[in-house]
Amino acid sequence: MSASYILKRIALIFYTLFIVSILVFGITQILPADAAVMMLGENATDEALEALRQQMGLNDPIWAQYLHWATGVVQGDFGTSLRTGQPVGPALFSALGTSLTLAVLALAVMLVLAIPMGILAAVRRGRAADLVVGFVSYIGVSLPEFVTATLAVVVVADIWGLLPPAGYVPLAEDFWGGLQRLILPVSVASIMMIAHVSRMVRSELVDVMHTDYIRAARLKGLTPRRVLIRHGLRNALLPTITIVALDVGYLLGGIIVVEEIFSIPGIGRALMSAIQSRDLPVIQAGVMIMAATYSIVNFAADLMYAWLDKRIQYD
Amino acid sequence: MTDTDMALRVEGYSLAYDVKGGQARVLNGIDLSIRRGEILGLVGESGSGKSSMASAIMRHLAGNARENDGRIWLGGTDLRAQTERQMSDIRGRRVSMVFQDPATSLNPTLRLGEQLAEVLVRHRGLTPRQAWAEGEARLAHVGLKTPREMMARMPHEMSGGEKQRVVIATAFACNPELIIFDEPTTALDVITARQILDLFAGLQQETGVASLYISHDLALLSQTADRVAVLQKGVIVEQGETAGLFRTPQHDYTKALIAAAPQPDRRLVTPLDTTRAPLVSVRDVTVNYGRKSLLDTLLRRDYAPVVGSRAVTLELRPGEVLGIVGESGSGKSTLAKAMTGLNRFDGLIDFDGRPVTGLSDMDSAYRRDVQIIFQHPDASLNPRQRIAEILARPLRLYGRGQGDPRARIAAMLERVRLPASYVDRYPHQLSGGEKQRIAIARAFLSNPRLVICDEITSALDVSVQASVIELLMELHRDTGAAYVFITHDINLVRQIAHRIAVMYRGDLVEIADAERIADPDRAPYTRQLLEAVTPPASARLATTPQD
Amino acid sequence: MTDFLRRLLRSPQGALGCLIVGLILVAVVFGSYLTPYGPEDMQPLARYKDPSAAHWLGTDQYGRDILSRLLDGARSTVVMAVAATVIGTLGGAILGTGSAYLGGRADEFIMRTNDAVMAIPSLLMALMVVSLLGSNSANALLAIAIAFMPSMARISRSVALTVRKQDYVSAAIARGEGAAYIVLREMLPNVIAPIVVEMTIRVSFAVMLFATLSFLGLGAQPPATDWGLMVSEARQYLHRSYWILMWPSAAIALTAIGFNLLGDGLRDALNPRT
Repeated sequence: MSASYILKRIALIFYTLFIVSILVFGITQILPADAAVMMLGENATDEALEALRQQMGLNDPIWAQYLHWATGVVQGDFGTSLRTGQPVGPALFSALGTSLTLAVLALAVMLVLAIPMGILAAVRRGRAADLVVGFVSYIGVSLPEFVTATLAVVVVADIWGLLPPAGYVPLAEDFWGGLQRLILPVSVASIMMIAHVSRMVRSELVDVMHTDYIRAARLKGLTPRRVLIRHGLRNALLPTITIVALDVGYLLGGIIVVEEIFSIPGIGRALMSAIQSRDLPVIQAGVMIMAATYSIVNFAADLMYAWLDKRIQYD
Repeated sequence: MTDTDMALRVEGYSLAYDVKGGQARVLNGIDLSIRRGEILGLVGESGSGKSSMASAIMRHLAGNARENDGRIWLGGTDLRAQTERQMSDIRGRRVSMVFQDPATSLNPTLRLGEQLAEVLVRHRGLTPRQAWAEGEARLAHVGLKTPREMMARMPHEMSGGEKQRVVIATAFACNPELIIFDEPTTALDVITARQILDLFAGLQQETGVASLYISHDLALLSQTADRVAVLQKGVIVEQGETAGLFRTPQHDYTKALIAAAPQPDRRLVTPLDTTRAPLVSVRDVTVNYGRKSLLDTLLRRDYAPVVGSRAVTLELRPGEVLGIVGESGSGKSTLAKAMTGLNRFDGLIDFDGRPVTGLSDMDSAYRRDVQIIFQHPDASLNPRQRIAEILARPLRLYGRGQGDPRARIAAMLERVRLPASYVDRYPHQLSGGEKQRIAIARAFLSNPRLVICDEITSALDVSVQASVIELLMELHRDTGAAYVFITHDINLVRQIAHRIAVMYRGDLVEIADAERIADPDRAPYTRQLLEAVTPPASARLATTPQD
Repeated sequence: MTDFLRRLLRSPQGALGCLIVGLILVAVVFGSYLTPYGPEDMQPLARYKDPSAAHWLGTDQYGRDILSRLLDGARSTVVMAVAATVIGTLGGAILGTGSAYLGGRADEFIMRTNDAVMAIPSLLMALMVVSLLGSNSANALLAIAIAFMPSMARISRSVALTVRKQDYVSAAIARGEGAAYIVLREMLPNVIAPIVVEMTIRVSFAVMLFATLSFLGLGAQPPATDWGLMVSEARQYLHRSYWILMWPSAAIALTAIGFNLLGDGLRDALNPRT
């Protein structure tokens, strides 16, 4: 892995953000919403509206507005919310922290469950354990988050009364209380990925266990355990890194639903309410932050892959 | 002879696989034995069951395998009576294996040192540190120059020959009683294969290990094995001392196999009329791969293209068969692709007076006159088209000749000795040899004047190869088309070519008459190549009697 | 064709997938004839009924027959999902194969940009498009189609590139075939199979995405019988009856499972070499 590969990869992140910024700015510009009306209300006089439009640069050509907005973003200024009048950046970044707590926990739960499930299914291929894992994963990929979330609230919170149905307490304030409220959202956010990743691990491992080098390792008299762990898993789990990184995109989408249902003040919920109230600066910033998160995760995954798999020659 | 003299005894062994609607019998009543220090060659074509025999000895059979009868003894140990756990102690320690393709039999993500040392740790109880040191010694022993460095390398950082040496070092690591060699040189280039064979001979002599050497190549076995067993469809049809077996083969199948092996001195082509003007002249044709990347441009870096073939110049007369030989990566296929418009090239191809400098010069007439046949018929026939559609294309495109297209297709099928009913089949319903005949039929339906054959027999079994070559030479006589015959099989090309071009790493080393290719004044690389080739068994054994 | 069907039904996934998707298609086509009640017929005296002989799946908060509503909703939910997937796949396939066909710098530019768009989660993309166009079913359909395009472009490009490298395509080029023949007769039949498999699996994803949009209030609007909307509405009446929530949830899951299974079955059946 050369420096120029890393350089290229970083350039790609900026290109991604550039394209996303154009896209999101374009979409929000076409949105049938007049920022001036939103800020001053329906009853404002035409003069007042016009003055505000002038002040906000809304009468400038679109490219000038984009440039103005983009310059601000580069300097960390995402503008002010039309709804609250507060700066968008600080509010969203604190929401991002909440969402990341949720996402990282969901990822961790997923890894802890999905990889052993996939391995178990592959090793016991065609037997009961494989069928159970396969069945569970079919169900898992077929249940949208809002269904699992609703069911979880009904069963675990309402009927059994085991956990609080919704709400969020920062872990730093009340660790146990916060954790209790996170159990259901984290489970719901991770189900789809558990199903997907365990299937991937299974099929990768099944493929690897049929390769010539695994046969060679067995015929060298190595113990089944060493063949599986040292020769099989290493090769099977490498592609999983890429798959998990791509799934992060899905996770970020799922988090919107999960935060909405469990009333968690994360970036998904902020985006959802911004979309409903057409709060353009918040939508723009939220989408940018999500895309940046996704890009960075995939960049990290690529680096990790390249570091683990010495075969790949990057130029 | 007592049991203890025997490294391996297989007695009345039968194996079948459970398939839909019954059992497919793979091995029937196999009797084999290998004395200590002996090399037994096991020869057979694909589907003969030779690989299943190796798996049976290693006790590594597929889940649907059913062992119906027989015993397998390793020394005094009844292998079929061993549990899986006991077997794992035996594998690698008492019996080990060398595989066909070192590129796939080594784990791509583990250091070579670890893949060698783990066997020493497992079976000889060494600590990892001791095993690493011992591994280095082992690598030095198999002729690797910098063993310490090699131990730390990853498989992709080494050549095929080096990798196979590591595999061999691993197989010998615990001084086993028996080593199974499963086509260990088939995936390697000629010269590398020769070096590996020499290494095998040396190590075998030194350690006196018993060997089961599995191969499809009779010529090779006639050189390496003490005794040879011929396996046909799961039955050993003949078994005996190597020299005797080759001199006086008893079974028809053995005779057919020996006859099918290409023999350089049995020429299959009639002398060429050298007075006619060249049909094709290739002048300074160079092919480069790769493309300058944007980053290279931005950073003003020098860009070194990968050379496919470099300034190749050659001529072909009407009706001439020109062989092109060279190892993989020598540029022989690249040239074929350039001549058929599949690669961009610099330089000039003059075809019957028409200059061709690029793709745009290759008009319909050129396409019709120049046909290419590929190595793998599986890949060159579209899996979703019936034979009828595949064969109708050249007729529709070029329309040369007259008559009903269906009748012409039927006639061509007959000519390549396939039943006319095949028009309704899909390629996957045909055998490998039949598919290649379809590809040949497709090429000849356009009445070409030049046919480029790119390794067209190397994916086929020996006997199938012989019949495809026979067909090809028959078509050559009938149509008078010139051939460019690209191959790595030097015995074969000496049989059928008028002249032979030798390529090495993109350069054309020389072109010589086929009869003169073995002359002492050839280029050094040509001589090296010729020396590495195993001469066909019958020729050698007939002239140099041995016991 | 019969050979293909036999292969499809031979695998357990294919057989089960065919069965479930077949049942769903029956519901889609004949749903309105099969319903015992009108989907919007309210029976104030029969609210929150548990399943019974009169109402097989029970009734909802307005006394509407849940089975009738589900059957009615099958049409909008499934047809919309299939339509969105087909449009998204076609758009993506054209983009992807076109990019592969152009090759070189143009290909790199198109695919890098395509990858950049993929950095926006598809749900978020769909949400933005719906909010841009307004919340209704037709816009939701378009939103999902657009959200599917980048990933379908990537998949079809890689499939097209694989096929492009096959010797039979080289043979066609060397033979001097025209671009149209090469693309339509040599490449397309081999490209279509894996794309159809991917598309089938995507339908299940589209059903879920559709339901999610409706659930979030950005897809179908009341009193539509869209399954996602039914789940969303049912949440308020949980304390009276769980059935209102369970049935549409189960319908969504069953549909998604059916298309997933069918896709896996097709993958095996469409491989000509097995």
